[in-house]
Amino acid sequence: MADTVQNYVELHDINKNYGDFQASHQINFGIEKGKLVALLGPSGSGKTTILRMIAGLETPDSGEIKIDGQVVNHIPANKRGIGFVFQSYALFRYMTVYDNIAMGLQIQKVPKQQIKERVTELLDLVSLKGLENRYPNQLSGGQRQRVAFARAIAPNPQLLLLDEPFAAIDAKVRQELRSWLKEMIGKLGITSIFVTHDQDEAMEVADEIILTNRGRIEQIGSPSEIYTYPKTAFTASFFGQNAQLEGYQAFHTFGDVPGADKALIRPEFVKVYKLDEKQQYPESASIGTVEQISFRGDRTELQINVNGLLITAKRNLGESPIAVGEQVKVFLYRIFVLKGEEVILLENEAVNSNYFNI
Amino acid sequence: MGRKNDGVLKWTLIAICAIFLFIMLILPLIYIVATALREGFGAYAAALSDEYARKAVGLTIKATLWAVGLNTVFGICAAWCITKFNFKGKKIISTLIDLPLTVSPIIAGLIFVLTFGRQSFLYDYLKAAGISIIFAVPGVILATIFVTFPYISREIIPVLNAQGTDEEEAAALMGAKTFTIFRKVTFPHIKWALLYGVVLCTARAMGEFGAVSVLSGHLRGKTNTMPLYIELLYQGYDFTGAFAVSSLLVIMAVIVLALRSILEYKGKKESEQDR
Ligand SMILES: Nc1ncnc2c1ncn2[C@@H]1O[C@H](COP(=O)(O)OP(=O)(O)O)[C@@H](O)[C@H]1O
Ligand SMILES: [Mg+2]
Repeated sequence: MADTVQNYVELHDINKNYGDFQASHQINFGIEKGKLVALLGPSGSGKTTILRMIAGLETPDSGEIKIDGQVVNHIPANKRGIGFVFQSYALFRYMTVYDNIAMGLQIQKVPKQQIKERVTELLDLVSLKGLENRYPNQLSGGQRQRVAFARAIAPNPQLLLLDEPFAAIDAKVRQELRSWLKEMIGKLGITSIFVTHDQDEAMEVADEIILTNRGRIEQIGSPSEIYTYPKTAFTASFFGQNAQLEGYQAFHTFGDVPGADKALIRPEFVKVYKLDEKQQYPESASIGTVEQISFRGDRTELQINVNGLLITAKRNLGESPIAVGEQVKVFLYRIFVLKGEEVILLENEAVNSNYFNI
Repeated sequence: MGRKNDGVLKWTLIAICAIFLFIMLILPLIYIVATALREGFGAYAAALSDEYARKAVGLTIKATLWAVGLNTVFGICAAWCITKFNFKGKKIISTLIDLPLTVSPIIAGLIFVLTFGRQSFLYDYLKAAGISIIFAVPGVILATIFVTFPYISREIIPVLNAQGTDEEEAAALMGAKTFTIFRKVTFPHIKWALLYGVVLCTARAMGEFGAVSVLSGHLRGKTNTMPLYIELLYQGYDFTGAFAVSSLLVIMAVIVLALRSILEYKGKKESEQDR
């Protein structure tokens, strides 16, 4: 976001209303050339609206959109050098795969021979050779997505926008396509923004995440940054497998935050020991009862009741097994304390004898 | 509920439908043909080759072509703007389009008489321009257009609504011009619905009596359409003539009905493929 870096896409103070509903509120961000960025947020938080404004399919009420250093507010969508993959792909139903991919080039009046070469090259790239005469309804979800991708990049756009590119695909194939898309975009080196409501997807695929909430941007950062150091209560509660904890003071050796509402803990913040197991900070562990155990393949997930507070913890398969009803020692490394919109990361003082505000 | 009871119910219902259709449809059709041929083929042929009869057929075809042509253009435009754009007054327009279905055709005719007749402020201008609408062919065509204009747009609107605007947006992003978008993206979607609407519109236009009756003035050989001419013959006790022309109208209707079934079948097959 620093001004010294030349951003390829920049949004300055963008606002957008639909009637009296504010879909975008003071949106500011910049994206470096060649980066793959995720617009992440819950459904209805305004992700698609931002993407459509960058594409030129919607007009912001105020603010400036720059692409490659040029203000594009008044440049029509088809002159912005953008490829767009729609949420439901919007493939032309009555055209073959070939014609779908060729359409953009045909409109630009590219010579037939050249179109043929380019489409063949793209069919090869997205591994759809031999399917060029099929219609979209004769393809699987994953194949349709690849056609949509090929169609979007056919005219060599400088910026690729993708709206929920994996939403319409079976969970099984989705994983595969995520890596495929990341690899493909990396290979092409094209600056890309994709919309998603799935935190795992954003963290796995994106170089950078822009987190949206109710038409505003909550936080921008790399996946690890935004996951580990949330700056707002919303960000902290959006990521990870959070459990809410009312009255965290019941646990030992955490500093007190005046006026705090509640705390969040993630399973990775928790360490569980059997009563007879050795532990590093015995004085700061609490005793709880295991209420439920779920098998998760590579590990087990425990629901533990500590003085009426329910805590989720993980335990690796290699560790000695724990049974339902068993008494265990629970140690919390850290917690997120929420205070209004703020979040404060508290480390267990047994580990790190002071807490700090971030 | 036993199976046996179901069987009884089924056959009772089938019988009721069959008897109803026979009395309401088959019998009258047989009667039309029988009466038309009562005085032999010679009289039947003579009644059809009568100059006024031929003029009436000509006018009906002319009015139908005009109505279908203009309503196709209007229907596509209306359906397009209602489904692809958001604007104030959209609800009002889509309600108004259905008006001819609810207003009695006689009243529709009277509205045009009031709008273009002697009482109207438009009358002097029209007269000065040498245009006569009331009791003239333009009036007949106007009335036909009015009563049939909802048919085409009503068929297209649901199809366009179901499709959404994504594909058009995708094409627009590529820089396609509006007409290209219509031709390559929108039209293939609405093709069958449009043809179906055209067929319905044709059927309705050919048979229109009420509104046309008010505007035509019943000038034999000039402003009489087939339905009006049939009535004229009937009032004059020329049963052979009336039923001969009627049989012609029935044949035209049956052809249209057959076309309708074919279109419905083809359209359905194609939309099934979509899934
Ligand atoms: N064309 C529109 N007219 C009115 N409201 C809209 C329109 N498009 C989006 N909205 C509203 O704006 C909000 C944000 O929408 P959107 O950007 O699609 O969210 P997301 O993609 O994050 O789910 C939603 O509440 C939605 O109802
Ligand atoms: Mg969306």
